[in-house]
Amino acid sequence: MAVPRPTIHICDDWISINLPDMDRVLAARNILSADVRWTEIVPGIDSIAIQFDPALVSPADAASMASDQISDLTQMAGMSPSTKVIPVCYDAALAPDSEYAAKKLGITTETLSSWHAAQIQRVAMLGFMPGFAYLESMEGCSDIGRLANPRQSVAPGSIGIIGRQSCIYSFDSPGGWPIIGRTPLRLFDPAKDQPALLSAGDTVRFEAISKDAFDHWPQETEQ
Amino acid sequence: MSITVLNAGLQSSLQGAPFTGHRHLGMPAAGAADCLSLALANFLVGKSYGEIAIEITLTGALFRMNEPGSIAVVGAAEHVRINGQDRPRHQTLKVMTGDQIDIGPSRPGCRTYLATAAKIHADHLLGGQSTCLAAALGGFHGRALRNDDVIAFTPDSPVTELQRTTPEDLRPHFSDNHVLRITPGPEADTRNENVLDDLCLAPYAVGARASRMGLALEGGALSACDSSNMPSAAVFPGTIQLPPSGQPYLLGPDAQTTGGYPRIAQIIRADRHLIGQLGSGSRIQFVQTTTERATEIYREKLSLLSSWLGQIKLW
Repeated sequence: MAVPRPTIHICDDWISINLPDMDRVLAARNILSADVRWTEIVPGIDSIAIQFDPALVSPADAASMASDQISDLTQMAGMSPSTKVIPVCYDAALAPDSEYAAKKLGITTETLSSWHAAQIQRVAMLGFMPGFAYLESMEGCSDIGRLANPRQSVAPGSIGIIGRQSCIYSFDSPGGWPIIGRTPLRLFDPAKDQPALLSAGDTVRFEAISKDAFDHWPQETEQ
Repeated sequence: MSITVLNAGLQSSLQGAPFTGHRHLGMPAAGAADCLSLALANFLVGKSYGEIAIEITLTGALFRMNEPGSIAVVGAAEHVRINGQDRPRHQTLKVMTGDQIDIGPSRPGCRTYLATAAKIHADHLLGGQSTCLAAALGGFHGRALRNDDVIAFTPDSPVTELQRTTPEDLRPHFSDNHVLRITPGPEADTRNENVLDDLCLAPYAVGARASRMGLALEGGALSACDSSNMPSAAVFPGTIQLPPSGQPYLLGPDAQTTGGYPRIAQIIRADRHLIGQLGSGSRIQFVQTTTERATEIYREKLSLLSSWLGQIKLW
């Protein structure tokens, strides 16, 4: 299979490489992670950015090193990502936009939870806030769109969905994605070896839980 | 073993080196917005360039020392007064228990760093201690300082007899008019070939939306194109994005790690410390350079600074 030649853009201390799909972005991430000269490796949806210390590596050298390192991404494309199960409470108290989202999808509010919990999704990337996950559904889905008026405050764990793309909020923050449920899991815990619960490439399955289960979900002790 | 915040001013927070290696988790850089002033202040009290100091914004702030020690102040503050007496910036200052340290308003510029010889206690996470305000992590309980906060020093703090003064020619010149050098960003020429020429044509002013996250710029509108379908991609402090409004947005140290607006330009690393001195009303003339030249400028700047500061990094 012919791999299209990646397009590299060079800034003075980071470079960005466009890649044709998420599989290759994740494959590139895995390969590039082995080189300690890359101080940051940040996957995007169809690109990856690599930052370096320009006192040690020149931009031109960085670009040629990185393109050599990812010259053959086909071997890595079939790697096995981990699957994470995310408990979600779809109770109306935690899902202010379930009616709006269900209407856009052409289903009833009651079936929204089973519709969502039946989906297999994949983490496309993390961004916006520490541990904030952008997810992509494996199946097609009608467009829901963002809220006309973004909220000033969205609770951590909230599941936002705009269609095929959805997200999980990790910290209290403003946000414009319609909210259809909330997970009791902590998306980002800096005290852990792996601070982010999710990682780009992970497969995610949702499991509906009751409001009671949500309220009594065992919380790990804060450090 | 502490220093008390008597007046925190507009925004004061504990800041040192940025978080590195965690942007793929969505973790912003945080850290001192003007890393050069931080490094100069830290050196005057015998500390390494990235250690935690107090970053003070625009209005100034007032502190009380609760033990004797040494401090240094570097940045935009128009004055430093100890118990009402004017004291020099860029110099190690001895302070006694109960001394009041008055950091004046920024004029011109935006931020000032108060470094203490005693080691400041700050929350540790992900290999850093700076305050990440957006996620309420690190620093002083993850938040900006408030009046009456007591910032503890760690018990093992060294006592220093150092007495240093920054050489005149290494003192940053503060101004409300800045020249910032840029290289093209990944989306500089995808839809509008002249966008960087237009960006560099005349100065931009920093608008009212100005924070550690980013600065909205006002000036000649750039022809923006429909970016609604641009897939989100990595951004960094110093990235200039072009939203549909056509008014560029310059990202600061607390910027999020990915974005969906075209990345038209990137401030070169050698100039990025100046972002910390930009406030509402500052004027910026952008000048385009090449990545090769940017690397030379960065290495020359480090070499000049290391003659005084020893090992140093800018971010």
